[in-house]
Amino acid sequence: MRDLLTAKSEEDALEDLHRKGLTDGLPVVVPTPSRVDRMALASGNDPDMVIGAMGPGNGVATIEKIAVAAVMAGCVPDHMPVVLAAVKAVINPVFDLTEMQATTHCTAPLIIVNGPARFSCGPISSGYGALGPGHRANASIGRALRLAMINIGGGRPGSSDMALLGHPGKFTYCLAENEEESPFEPLHTSFGFERDESIVTVMGGEAPHSVLFGADGDDPKSYKGLLDILAIGLTNPATNNAILTGGSALIILNPEHAAVLADAGLNRTTISEELHTRCLHTEKDIKRLVPAFSSNREGNRNAFTGPEQILIMMAGGSGLYSMAIPTWSAGAHKNSPSCEKIETDFFCEIPDKKID
Amino acid sequence: MRDGINIAKLNIPAVALVTEEFWPQGDFVSVSLGMPEIPRVKLPHPVAGSGTENMRMIAKSVATQVIASLDTNA
Repeated sequence: MRDLLTAKSEEDALEDLHRKGLTDGLPVVVPTPSRVDRMALASGNDPDMVIGAMGPGNGVATIEKIAVAAVMAGCVPDHMPVVLAAVKAVINPVFDLTEMQATTHCTAPLIIVNGPARFSCGPISSGYGALGPGHRANASIGRALRLAMINIGGGRPGSSDMALLGHPGKFTYCLAENEEESPFEPLHTSFGFERDESIVTVMGGEAPHSVLFGADGDDPKSYKGLLDILAIGLTNPATNNAILTGGSALIILNPEHAAVLADAGLNRTTISEELHTRCLHTEKDIKRLVPAFSSNREGNRNAFTGPEQILIMMAGGSGLYSMAIPTWSAGAHKNSPSCEKIETDFFCEIPDKKID
Repeated sequence: MRDGINIAKLNIPAVALVTEEFWPQGDFVSVSLGMPEIPRVKLPHPVAGSGTENMRMIAKSVATQVIASLDTNA
């Protein structure tokens, strides 16, 4: 049964939502019953259908509650299947949502979208500034997941979300892969999905770390320098990946860097393998730099248990910069990436998409 | 906090050691997991990284409370 709030005006309603701690601190679209109904309808599911419990508060995520988050975030009904898939992905136990929401680390769920839904549920940007402002679907979908984590999961700063600082991606963190221009098979195929399936992959990521590299067209071994510098970006010894080990991490190659590696005969799998051999530190160095997490072992500590933990995708504009996104690398399942199919078959076309 | 509750749910006497900074989070977690009365002992913050001698001193200062909580819990 709905427990409705009332207010004299839209402005009053917004202030009330802020006062009750139901926003992310920015203005939201007030989730009126008609707006929520329309958003829930777009999912093609019953509003009271239960998706699962969201930690740390163990709030029950129903289609209707997820629709509330989507409305508040500024989504249009077209975005709803992606929001729903993202919520399902973080509820998957492998994602360790409860622990991830409660940790002192800055981790935030990064939503990566592959397949035809990038267009039918967006457009979700994979180009210039895809992780920055100016892309409505990216901004709204990522924000909807965060609002669900706040209002259904109960993650609030300082009382249940204990991130010491957090990072701006905790407002919204969503992009698509540029599959059309990538020389590699898209990311979701490495998880066993078909290329034409629409998939959300959610991983708990730090803020993106820029990786600068300029290729030398006269040097056929130039690509090795790119691999070396990407590996440093992935596992600088200040990251949890390097110290705790066993968590995943992501490289977002820009088109030029992707071309350098493709021209060298590498593919997604062999790039991960090459990086894996480079992502290690000596135990001696770790003892010197981070003694609280050192051991009496000798030899090297590899940040990853295997190359499959290093995710590779292509996005962004053309230029010198790729991105490395290290992760929290803790929790019972090491906060593993979680994939979920975007159910566009169930999507219900809304005759009037205008939000009242 | 969560570990303490999970242990208590196994009918094993448990007391959660929570630093003062994390006390509000403890309130939230204990309610959300349905065990708001889980015995808790408050520690100063931070404990981690504060040095062996300091940790011994903290342990000594709360040992009686911890044992009393476990006795009550049993």
